[in-house]
Amino acid sequence: MLKSKALHHLVLGSTILSCMAGAIQASELNLLTWEGYATPEITGPFEAATSCKVTATYVGSNDDFAPKLAAGGGVYDIVVPSLDAVPVLQQAGFVQPIETAKVTGFDTIYPEFSKAASLNADGSVWGVPLIWGSVSLLYRPDKIQGTPDSIGILFDPAYTGKISMWDDKSSIYWAARYLGYNNIYDLSDEQLDAVKAKLIEQKPLVRKYWTSAGELTELMANDEVYASNTWTGLTSKDVNALKKGFEVVEFSPKEKSEGWMDSMMLVKDTPNEDCAYKFMAYMQAAEGQCAIAAATGYFPVNPAAVAGCMDDAMKKDRQVGNIDFVKSLIMWEQPARLDKYIEVWNAVKAAP
Amino acid sequence: MKLDRRNAPGFLALFSLPLIWSLLLLIVPYLIMISVGFWLRKYPTFVPDFQFANYAQIFTDPQYIGVILRTAKIAACVTVLATILGYPLAYLLAFTVRSPGLRNLMYLMVIVPLWVSYLLRAYTWKTILGTNGVLNSFLQSLGLIDAPLDIFLYNQTAMVITLTYIFIPFMVMPIFSSLENIPRNLIEASEDLGIGPFGTFLKVVLPLSWGGILAGATVTFCLTFGDFVAPVLVGGPDGTMIANVLQNQFGAALNWPLGSALATLVLLLVMAILWLSSRLDRTARITL
Repeated sequence: MLKSKALHHLVLGSTILSCMAGAIQASELNLLTWEGYATPEITGPFEAATSCKVTATYVGSNDDFAPKLAAGGGVYDIVVPSLDAVPVLQQAGFVQPIETAKVTGFDTIYPEFSKAASLNADGSVWGVPLIWGSVSLLYRPDKIQGTPDSIGILFDPAYTGKISMWDDKSSIYWAARYLGYNNIYDLSDEQLDAVKAKLIEQKPLVRKYWTSAGELTELMANDEVYASNTWTGLTSKDVNALKKGFEVVEFSPKEKSEGWMDSMMLVKDTPNEDCAYKFMAYMQAAEGQCAIAAATGYFPVNPAAVAGCMDDAMKKDRQVGNIDFVKSLIMWEQPARLDKYIEVWNAVKAAP
Repeated sequence: MKLDRRNAPGFLALFSLPLIWSLLLLIVPYLIMISVGFWLRKYPTFVPDFQFANYAQIFTDPQYIGVILRTAKIAACVTVLATILGYPLAYLLAFTVRSPGLRNLMYLMVIVPLWVSYLLRAYTWKTILGTNGVLNSFLQSLGLIDAPLDIFLYNQTAMVITLTYIFIPFMVMPIFSSLENIPRNLIEASEDLGIGPFGTFLKVVLPLSWGGILAGATVTFCLTFGDFVAPVLVGGPDGTMIANVLQNQFGAALNWPLGSALATLVLLLVMAILWLSSRLDRTARITL
């Protein structure tokens, strides 16, 4: 009897303890980031070296960061928005300035990125560049006639029901470039109306708007779609690794691809600042930069860090030392009228 | 409600917790939601205010009413389909299956899917309806089609199929219990008086199970009306429902005021449906 009572207490006690474990554990780090940025290959060595426990939550779009922080801070320590979503987080007061002295390796980041205007607003540094890349087009050569060289592939009625697009306001940028507009971040009302009409006209061609790289991989691998815009590197790598009997190919259209750069930002009043700075520094070291480049197919921001951990072919593939590649891309910016853009994209999705 | 003075402490002890619970977790949040509906979106977030621009936007920009009508259409399709499929199943369980063991087993099979994650069940339909899915492989193996059809997935039909499958237990359960409560001697009396099985069904069984149908239809309609997962998983570019728009206003658009105004409108719609349902229930109810 006594024994079973003791056992009972033990079970009860350990249950309560395990429920509380989450609350009392020190040195944790919560990331709000993108698929592929917190794989075990990246976080494992970091956890082993620092005893900071990493938990990652994934976003499907740059528009997910601000709402998640607005809904109540304290859940995330580091967020990783693209450059075009940096201003809104800073202006809303969701993040705090970075003490760059605490981030070993910050000095060797491409200055094109670390000195970017939105990261250096109001006399402070607001983010540590992490990784960069492009958004290009992806297609099935065995299903698409000829070699496409234009965004027109996404608007070609020959592929009705076989097109996909990222469920994101950036669809506006693609349609705008296809229509020949160059001011894609500052479109006039008339231009936005034309873009909206074009995107609504495209809807019967679209099988599904994808919301994550995983979903696009699935759509491509399962014969659901033949062409889409894509986060260059990630989906093609994943689809081709499935060996479905066909290969997918990426290309940069004559209307240009888009460029993006993701930075680590420090959530205001995070209790895990120590771990956060350790993580930022780790991601600027060889281990971090090479691991994330390998996991995603994207390009490192810190050429000095990857000097020893990438072979020459890989360096060429990932544009190491070729910052001029940026100039061939249209780098993302926050649209001048963010609300209007989001409203237009929502109207497109709501249309029949 | 008249409270006996002697019982007051007992009454409070028993009911204060649920009362506080519903006040704090239902009434207060609804009031907050309604008041945020009058706030103003102002980049980068939003500010307290009292103005009607959010409601004006909902009624002047056709995208919102369009999505509400589409949502109502899908919910109506799901409700009708679930009734057509659910009623015979409930009838079978209540009247045809004689063995209590078998009946319990079948009833359990109707409910068991509720224990499986909603996401998993919706996801399963993707593997059934997809271009390389189970349905297409089956049709191809029968020789009915040469190439896989892509008409099954990523459209409103796929959403109706998935939602009907997911919510049908909520239709079967109330119909089954209303059928089970019909006194068997009424049916026997009807048969004794020479009314055939179909006549008995129309004149006795159906009217007496009306409350169950109505309860099931109301729950199914409201659950479908508020769904936002099926459009994301199996819906196509024309599948956006009102809950997706709401989610977007609280998410990507960071426009909680407009989202709250929309949510208030949806709340009113659902309350109207509940009112209508209780009216229909009262007018059609047969008192035994």
